[in-house]
Amino acid sequence: MVKFTSDELRRIMDYKHNIRNMSVIAHVDHGKSTLTDSLVAAAGIIAQEVAGDVRMTDTRADEAERGITIKSTGISLYYEMTDASLKSFTGARDGNEYLINLIDSPGHVDFSSEVTAALRITDGALVVVDCIEGVCVQTETVLRQALGERIRPVLTVNKMDRCFLELQVDGEEAYQNFQRVIENANVIMATYEDPLLGDVQVYPEKGTVAFSAGLHGWAFTLTNFAKMYASKFGVDETKMMERLWGENFFDPATRKWSSKNTGSATCKRGFVQFCYEPIKQIIATCMNDQKDKLWPMLAKLGVQMKSDEKELMAKPLMKRVMQTWLPASTALLEMMIFHLPSPHTAQRYRVENLYEGPLDDQYATAIRNCDPNGPLMLYVSKMIPASDKGRFFAFGRVFSGKVSTGMKVRIMGPNFVPGEKKDLYVKSVQRTVIWMGKRQETVEDVPCGNTVAMVGLDQFITKNATLTNEKEVDAHPIRAMKFSVSPVVRVAVQCKVASDLPKLVEGLKRLAKSDPMVVCTMEESGEHIVAGAGELHLEICLKDLQDDFMGGAEIVKSDPVVSFRETVLERSVRTVMSKSPNKHNRLYMEARPLEDGLAEAIDDGRIGPRDDPKIRSKILAEEFGWDKDLAKKIWAFGPETTGPNMVVDMCKGVQYLNEIKDSVVAGFQWASKEGPLCDENMRGICFEVCDVVLHSDAIHRGGGQVIPTARRVIYASQLTAKPRLLEPVYMVEIQAPEGALGGIYSVLNQKRGHVFEEMQRPGTPLYNIKAYLPVVESFGFSSQLRAATSGQAFPQCVFDHWEMMSSDPLEVGSQASTLVADIRKRKGMKEQMTPLSDFEDKL
Amino acid sequence: MDMEFQSRYEINRTAEFIISKSFTRVALQFPDELLKDSTKVVSALKSKTRLLNTEREVRFFVMADTTYGSCCVDEVGALHIDSECVVHYGQTCLSPTSVLPAFFVFGKASTEVSSCVKHLLDYASHSDKPIMILYGLEYAHVIPRIREELMEALSRTESEAKFSVANVICSFISPSKDPRESMEHPGPSGESDSRNYRLGGLTWDLPEGNKIEDYLLFWIGSDNSAFANVVLTFNGCDLVRYDAEEDSLVTEFAQQRRILKRRYYLVEKAKDANIIGILVGTLGVAGYLHMIHHMQALISAAGKKSYILAMGRPNPAKLANFPECDVFIYISCAQTALLDSKEFMSPVITPFEANLAFSRGSEWTGAYLMHFQDVINSSKTESEAHSEPEEPRFSFFQGGYVEDHNANDQAENGEGDTGETMALVQAAEKALQLRGKDQNQLTKQTAAKSGPEYFLNRAYRGLEINSDNTSPEPFIVGRSGKASGYKHE
Repeated sequence: MVKFTSDELRRIMDYKHNIRNMSVIAHVDHGKSTLTDSLVAAAGIIAQEVAGDVRMTDTRADEAERGITIKSTGISLYYEMTDASLKSFTGARDGNEYLINLIDSPGHVDFSSEVTAALRITDGALVVVDCIEGVCVQTETVLRQALGERIRPVLTVNKMDRCFLELQVDGEEAYQNFQRVIENANVIMATYEDPLLGDVQVYPEKGTVAFSAGLHGWAFTLTNFAKMYASKFGVDETKMMERLWGENFFDPATRKWSSKNTGSATCKRGFVQFCYEPIKQIIATCMNDQKDKLWPMLAKLGVQMKSDEKELMAKPLMKRVMQTWLPASTALLEMMIFHLPSPHTAQRYRVENLYEGPLDDQYATAIRNCDPNGPLMLYVSKMIPASDKGRFFAFGRVFSGKVSTGMKVRIMGPNFVPGEKKDLYVKSVQRTVIWMGKRQETVEDVPCGNTVAMVGLDQFITKNATLTNEKEVDAHPIRAMKFSVSPVVRVAVQCKVASDLPKLVEGLKRLAKSDPMVVCTMEESGEHIVAGAGELHLEICLKDLQDDFMGGAEIVKSDPVVSFRETVLERSVRTVMSKSPNKHNRLYMEARPLEDGLAEAIDDGRIGPRDDPKIRSKILAEEFGWDKDLAKKIWAFGPETTGPNMVVDMCKGVQYLNEIKDSVVAGFQWASKEGPLCDENMRGICFEVCDVVLHSDAIHRGGGQVIPTARRVIYASQLTAKPRLLEPVYMVEIQAPEGALGGIYSVLNQKRGHVFEEMQRPGTPLYNIKAYLPVVESFGFSSQLRAATSGQAFPQCVFDHWEMMSSDPLEVGSQASTLVADIRKRKGMKEQMTPLSDFEDKL
Repeated sequence: MDMEFQSRYEINRTAEFIISKSFTRVALQFPDELLKDSTKVVSALKSKTRLLNTEREVRFFVMADTTYGSCCVDEVGALHIDSECVVHYGQTCLSPTSVLPAFFVFGKASTEVSSCVKHLLDYASHSDKPIMILYGLEYAHVIPRIREELMEALSRTESEAKFSVANVICSFISPSKDPRESMEHPGPSGESDSRNYRLGGLTWDLPEGNKIEDYLLFWIGSDNSAFANVVLTFNGCDLVRYDAEEDSLVTEFAQQRRILKRRYYLVEKAKDANIIGILVGTLGVAGYLHMIHHMQALISAAGKKSYILAMGRPNPAKLANFPECDVFIYISCAQTALLDSKEFMSPVITPFEANLAFSRGSEWTGAYLMHFQDVINSSKTESEAHSEPEEPRFSFFQGGYVEDHNANDQAENGEGDTGETMALVQAAEKALQLRGKDQNQLTKQTAAKSGPEYFLNRAYRGLEINSDNTSPEPFIVGRSGKASGYKHE
């Protein structure tokens, strides 16, 4: 069993055709980690008996406790194929030994960022779907992400054991069920199809769908059965495979295949007849302890049981029998080896998605060819806390070249710009390590196509980075990952004992590193803020912060805080004017809301400051109805020069205007970051500079005069354009049986949520509900929902959009004005808003 | 001349002081709110000095509207008129002067001594900590009476409560010969053995083995900058303020405590700065030059660029003239140093905060120092203490590690100048290039590391010369009238 040494592993790492990097992705609780464990069991790290009971990949105590995966974990597996089974394999290969670098990822939506990080460094994905629950929200999300990264998927329909033991469904019903699950998955995959990746849909008859029972450690693909029956029927395997799925029926009485059910009692679908029924029979026999019947059946199937195993009874017996007959590892690993791409194949089409630089330079070529002798290109996708507190492994994938112990590498951080020194370090790798569940093995070097962990770089990498050889100065970095969730829930943390502050600072630093998504920042008031994707995410982060990163020093956290945005409803009622401090300069401006969808387009980067002005004006003219010339007159985006607000020059024939442009832009950047209502960012506002009167003497129209004035006039124009607050809104997906719907609706109503889709999941008694829920109201939503539905409903919240609050913040006593007052109080500002008269001047 | 006026402006004492030092040219410095009394003071002083000394005529000059904070002695102004001494009226920070001797008249705010003592005793009965009485200098004149009444009350009630009262340093400051010397005098720096504290013109000693944290601070006076300093400096102590005008105790200082956190934020913010403006906010407080040099050295050691700016009291419009500065360090006396307002585009920090922000390895501990000498002393001990391995700094604003540029640039310091001139050349080149190309480029500006680099990123780079049109421009009639409303409006 433990024939697995790091030397052996290292040797196979060189066979780039024999490597499969893959992640296991699924909805929460569909059985990823359990399934992974049975694979790990087969690769010889843990004993076969405990597979299914111990989650090898949930390495943290809280993961084991909650029964959910929080961090993604990588494991390298070793598998040797038999010559016979490789007979039909047509791709390139070096020998029969295969190395599978597997990453188990969390299914809960709050930890989606972990999935993103896992997908980046893998080429294939095993999509796990519960055969009863079917394709769920998170299945769709992760599939979309996977295909966006050009990851080829294979599917496994999991929890087969439930069909046999719990629900006892008959063959045809089960088939319909599986068929629907696969179809649903295929629909999603078809939506995100990518020409370079080719057909990514999965077909049982082609062997890209497996049927598994992770808990019991068995699985099969139609290939298994086809092999078994091919000789019996005297047809070749592929032919047999086709017959085992779809509209193919067999009547044992006549021994004839037909494409329709003949109506005779013995006529059954191929799948039911040859796959489902035999399994059902074996399981039933085991469960009933009919050993006298069992042994002959097993003998017929060619299954050998050890004598001590024969002593087992009922469930353990069934488990053992099934594991011996249809071991999960064989079915799944063979499916991966056959149908998932090797790094060599995958990097050919992934290079475009990965590399930021020109696609014809030596680095792109090396990545494309997965060239172990090329320059090093390595992407660190996440940092993993090491056992000695405070240190981290940098975990990533070698795309080309080799990384070795002691090597000097160039670290290009996320803010690195080629040709500049910003965010760039040259440091040496202290140790290269490969990961095997709870164990780490040091190796001399790791060649391209593999995942690797490195020691000694943690002080220079916050979350991710691209590594190259020291001397490769003209390499561009690998593209940054795009996350599907955003950190919208924030808490302020402070230490209980004031003198622990340095500990807190250090702890936050480490926390920022340990999680791909969490953001540690600071408020204007001097409070430290931790922002995460959801309540659960934050809870885990804060627990880590206190227990692991601060050595147990106590922290006090505030109630969750949600950030708002400030916007306008209409165009300013009049052109507002502000005078400079010396009264010699005047700025006239109006504010208006940006067209629908424009703010989102800026968020997505479709429109931004770096665009070619021609393309930008084309998009603006065609999609948003802007005047072509006007599109050329955008002065800036803000805040931070990229935000979803703009200043546009609408003046005609103003002298010296170009001189003050920079000052107005500076004022705009400042103002759009801290709006007049409650110091929140602005969103979706277009400021039009209508007219400008300037002093003819340059000294009197300098930045000092113009910048504060621009800020004031921007505030005034916003306040005259019906200012409104925007609040973040989650999209919630809830799955529940019909009986729980009443409870769900009432909780949603209490929480200002509204349902926009309710759908019964075909073939199940479950309903799928989609609703919008303000993030502010989401705290405690899960637990309230559980209480109201006696634990039957489980919500998944993802940030969806900003929604305007209809009440007027300027109207005393309105909901929005109370909210504004609260925010201002929390920020330590004057509770009264600064009146318009302070910003607007009169002639 | 009524007696009240005489005593409020301490005419007799002032005159005696002037005569005893035989000054002949004396500058009288008034804050704005006392300016209205200046003529009366001058005539009173004149007649008084004439009485005391008939031989020599003493000339008085009234100084008002000082360039910097009115709490400091305006030595430069006084030197313009060649005066030998400054008499300072009103609220003061008692910062040491560098050239001229100064005589301080604190003014006398009225207060009900008995009620103050009553409040004090009331408060003392709730707590078993000893009480340290601090006060605004305008209340210095009632302190002896408070002390007396307190003693009396204590002996009457035989209370266990312990009181200590701070003393005024002195009402006369003469410049020390060597500015260095004044640097060395002991302050409340942690390592000094003597338990002597000085703050805002007050001084007090604590018995050996006692910490200031063990005391309750009782402040008599209004909620002004002197009090804010006390709150900040002794942020670990329990504090209570007796408001003499309202005759009430104030124990709620959430707002002031908030200031401390806000200062912490500013320090973190300053760490991310590339270009730093050093604002010279005093020309009088002893050691300011030393401080400026210290700051310059600190900033360049941190691999950042600094510019020295001398301006009167900073306001948003003045500072916005230097948009390239990411942060300003305001070098001034302790009571004007805390300058924080949303109106400023870039934060303004104190030298102490700059020390925290720019020297590696120093951490915000909550201790807060205001005076130059303390700051320099503390940074001295720090610079000796740490020599940590180079590690990139974590920025809370960028959410990741940032490299300060010292690692690479320190070795090439010599080339720094050439780099700058190159930037200027580049700027000139760009300006000469055809416009239009970058007209519409709203490309993200990378944070500039020096002034020239900042200007390079600007869209407007100077006057445009339209070489194709050489014919003279036609004569245009401009606007006329006042800025608040031109004639055509």
